[in-house]
Amino acid sequence: MSEEDQAHGGGKADPVEPPASPGGPVAVSLMLLRLGQRWFAMDARAIEEVALRGPVTRVPMAPSHILGVTSLRGRLVTVVGLEQMLGGAGMLPVDNSATLPRLVVVRDGDFEMAVVAHGIHGLIERAASAAPVRPADAPDFVREEFDWQGGRVSLLDTSRLVAAAARLAGMTSAAEDAIP
Amino acid sequence: MRALGLRTKLVVTFTGLFLVFTLVFAWYLIHRQGTIASQALETRAKGLSGILAKLIAPAVDLDLDKSQAENSLAAIKGHKDLLYVVVLKADGTVYLRHSEARLPPGSELLENSDTTRVEERGQLVHVLEPIRSNGKDLGTLAAGFSRQSIDQEIQTSTRTVVLFSSVILLVGFLAAWVVSGTIARPMLEMATQLTRLSQELAGLARTQESASSLQVSAIEETRGTMEVMLASAQQIAESSSVVLGNAERTVTGNRDVAHRVEELNSHAERVAEILAVIMQVADRTDLLALNAALEGTKAGEAGRGFTLVAAEMRRLAESVMESVAGIRRLMTDMRSASHSAVAAGQEGIALSEETTRSARDIAQVTQQQRKATEQVGRSMDNMAATVTQATASTRQTAATAHDLVNAALRLDRLVGTSSVVAQTQRAPALAAPEDGGGAHEPRTE
Repeated sequence: MSEEDQAHGGGKADPVEPPASPGGPVAVSLMLLRLGQRWFAMDARAIEEVALRGPVTRVPMAPSHILGVTSLRGRLVTVVGLEQMLGGAGMLPVDNSATLPRLVVVRDGDFEMAVVAHGIHGLIERAASAAPVRPADAPDFVREEFDWQGGRVSLLDTSRLVAAAARLAGMTSAAEDAIP
Repeated sequence: MRALGLRTKLVVTFTGLFLVFTLVFAWYLIHRQGTIASQALETRAKGLSGILAKLIAPAVDLDLDKSQAENSLAAIKGHKDLLYVVVLKADGTVYLRHSEARLPPGSELLENSDTTRVEERGQLVHVLEPIRSNGKDLGTLAAGFSRQSIDQEIQTSTRTVVLFSSVILLVGFLAAWVVSGTIARPMLEMATQLTRLSQELAGLARTQESASSLQVSAIEETRGTMEVMLASAQQIAESSSVVLGNAERTVTGNRDVAHRVEELNSHAERVAEILAVIMQVADRTDLLALNAALEGTKAGEAGRGFTLVAAEMRRLAESVMESVAGIRRLMTDMRSASHSAVAAGQEGIALSEETTRSARDIAQVTQQQRKATEQVGRSMDNMAATVTQATASTRQTAATAHDLVNAALRLDRLVGTSSVVAQTQRAPALAAPEDGGGAHEPRTE
């Protein structure tokens, strides 16, 4: 277990976290993942699977945030680097990861891509915030930021993330089409 | 009492000879002179008496007057030795008496004699000459002569002889002194030189003997040192043999340890491979559990239990991975330690091999040293024998030198200067040899 993992509770996310009350806001399952020293959260329902990071083949002329493509059970999946999309601040990889690098595969419609994560903390239950706090300079795929066990976690909007990746790559995704 | 020297002997001998010669010469000369003078006096007395008897015979025969007879005696008056003349007739009466000096009574010899007689009585020489004429005895002429002139002449001759003999004795003494000096000086020089050479020879012999003694002592000391070195070399050889055996055993042990450590490393590599597999399995288990939890979450409330089980599986998998990581760290430490052990073992092997080579070299060098030491010991024995022989020769030389010194001393005593004796007494080196040759000790008289 990494130090960052220990800093966020010293163990896996307790899946039996108290759900939101029936009368309160709806609780959502979030997957906490670490990229360098920063923590991110994604909606668990948007995540196809978590896979080992296999060999990634670089794509010529591809933008910097497109790390390449990898074969995942016979499918070619685009591998995206969040640090390139976020500017790379605080996301240098750490060597004390307990696990191998992971690929978090997300899908938005027909568009499927994999985000490199240096560590997966697990799933947590969190009630949706009525007034989400969001930094002004944050990209549009960062929905909000919240504190979790003494750390700062950026909640990523999967649809916007896929759209941003497609947009930066000069592509158009279904989510981008759906985004007003 | 010291014996007289050669020179003194020579001087005494020559002087004695000269003294005897001069005494004999003087005695003979004086005696001869006296005899000759007496004979001359006797002859002269006899001749004078015969002449007087012939001159006075006619007067007695004719019984002439005494004055005529005294004229016959005029020729002899004033003769220095004549004391008296008495003419006795045949009947014994005195015919004529003539005296040159006053004689005590009874000192005259008045007898008739048929033949010419000469008698010496005291300091007088009496002559009785028969007076004959025509074959007839007329009487006797008695004449007395004094020996005083003869005694004076003898005394004069004696003085002359004594003086001459003294001169001869003195010349002889001087000649003996000079000749003895001429003889003794070269002998003295020879004795001095012989003494000096003997002293030098004795000193050299003594120095050589002392040097030989020191050399013998040094050889004995060197031989003792060689024996100690030999014993030390033997001990070093034994110790180096033990060290060689220990070093060889150490090499073998270190190689065994290195081999075991390599085996341990091999096992550790195998364990690492197994740990890698376990890690991979745990990682995949973690991944599977994560995906299971994800699927359970997607299933909603129905998948909640599934999610709980998947979370427990993840905990297990991560616990395994943590344990594997700990084991890996331990394996890393163990590998590092084993590498260090291998390096130390190899260094130990190198050192042991070096020690083995050094021990072999030491053993070889010690063997050579022992042989060299034994050879040196044999050389020391030979040298000691040679030095002992040289010492014996030196002692013989010293004895010979001492004999020479004694000979020089005897020669010195013979020469009689005692300079060598004094020189010898000043030089204690000329004492008897240390080996106690009693026969060679100088005699002190």
